[in-house]
Amino acid sequence: MSTSILQVRDLHVEFNGVKAADGVSLDINEGEFLAVIGPNGSGKTTLLNLCTGYVRPKSGSIHLDGRAITGLTPRAITRRGVARAFQIPQLFSDQSVLDNMMLALAAKDGLWTMVRPLAQPARREEATALLDLVGLRDDKNRVSRTLPEGHRKLLDIAVALALKPRLLLLDEPTSGVSTLERFSLMEALMSALRSRNITALFVEHDMDVVARYANRVLVWNAGTVMAQGHPDEVFKDERVLKNVVGVA
Amino acid sequence: MNAIIPLVLDTLSSAALIFFAAVGLTLVFNVLRVLNVAHGSFYSIGAYVAASICAFIVSRHLNPYLSFVALLFSAALVAVVLGPLIESTLIRWTYGKSEAVQILITFGLFLILEDLQRMVFGVQSFYEDTPMRLMGSSSIGGVVYLNYQMFLVAMAVIVVFGLRLLIKHSRLGRLVTAVVADREMAQSIGVDTNKIFILAFSLGVFLAALGGALAVPTSGVAPGLGADTMVLAFAVAAIGGLGQIEGAALAALIVALARVLAIYFVPSLDAVAPYAAMLIVLLVRPYGLFGAITTRRI
Repeated sequence: MSTSILQVRDLHVEFNGVKAADGVSLDINEGEFLAVIGPNGSGKTTLLNLCTGYVRPKSGSIHLDGRAITGLTPRAITRRGVARAFQIPQLFSDQSVLDNMMLALAAKDGLWTMVRPLAQPARREEATALLDLVGLRDDKNRVSRTLPEGHRKLLDIAVALALKPRLLLLDEPTSGVSTLERFSLMEALMSALRSRNITALFVEHDMDVVARYANRVLVWNAGTVMAQGHPDEVFKDERVLKNVVGVA
Repeated sequence: MNAIIPLVLDTLSSAALIFFAAVGLTLVFNVLRVLNVAHGSFYSIGAYVAASICAFIVSRHLNPYLSFVALLFSAALVAVVLGPLIESTLIRWTYGKSEAVQILITFGLFLILEDLQRMVFGVQSFYEDTPMRLMGSSSIGGVVYLNYQMFLVAMAVIVVFGLRLLIKHSRLGRLVTAVVADREMAQSIGVDTNKIFILAFSLGVFLAALGGALAVPTSGVAPGLGADTMVLAFAVAAIGGLGQIEGAALAALIVALARVLAIYFVPSLDAVAPYAAMLIVLLVRPYGLFGAITTRRI
């Protein structure tokens, strides 16, 4: 039996009277790759914002490994082992690809190493290894704002991996990526997750990607979980086909 | 030739002290975007503490060379005690506020610190020149010159290159740059931005206090030093371009040259010369020598 690493219980959030989460409860199990699908505006990104501290719930609780993280700051949640890759990649645009990686690797180090060089050989090696993993080694000296969108997405994911998370939350990892690059990005991502034993939740609109890579699918609609289960079962559900798959 | 050598040496040593007065102000503005009017007080507190410790060393007949350690120790002490305390209780609340609010709050802090100095150190002047006497003098081109003044120039050069190295290559400097570029992004990768701000502010306090401590053997310390330093530091920061460390170094040279030329040729204009230099530079380059036009967020 798999262990739940993230427990969400009875979450309520609303923005100007619109319910983005209306009593939602869910678990994310260790080692799984959980896809969250749903129509635009249904509150999928809000779920990620709640889990990473960018939005506070009106009521309800979120626990990571049994410890409450509800209401903690994004920095505190990152330090507890939750990393996030954004729909629009969040990078230090004027820094090189390698420097973005090294900053993420160095972010949590202690006070006493503050005056030591950022580009320590071991850190540079670790950053290069991660860039290798997502296929960005050749771009390592480029300034990140000059990268094509697909590569910026990969770098954002690599930065999140550099934080050594237990749980990685990805907001539409394949949006803005060309059809040709989409599956190679997902293969690189899956290989990185497997090799580092990272549990992941990803919000996605591309049903081919969901069907091929997710272990479990959670269908989010109007702030509630409409259905959940293995992709094969979920994609046969009439309500899902009518309300979500057709419009997602 | 005999007239040029002392002019150059006087300009360099004067520029070193002026640079120390301004570099912390410009660093704090660069990182925290705060115009700290109380900056001059850290300079004078550094001077008072250094003078007191040096006087203690002399009075107890301790090794007089300890007075050099005392100069550095005083600056570190002031930075460690006042930096985190003032940043976390007062300066933190001014981030993102308008310059007018920042100036009002830090001016209030300046008044408090000035009164505290009068309460602790009194209103008499302190003069302690042990480090300068220990270093002796040299003859350069037939002109006898104090080695301590060359030491000040060397210290300023070390600080310029040291700061550049720290900001461009160290983990602290790179994290500071990252926080300045995108605070939210820095937080999302787990950077403790509060700690970074405390460190950056304390470094600014250290540089100001170091300037004050190093100035004690040449000019002593008296009430009003903080206000004089603050005005001069703002002039230098304005000439160099607020936030520019290399700009502060060049501006310090310009201000020092203006002042030394005035002392040599029109002594009555000594006090006016730095500000005349500032006016001329700002008329030609309104954002300073190294400053850039920035867009104001509305």
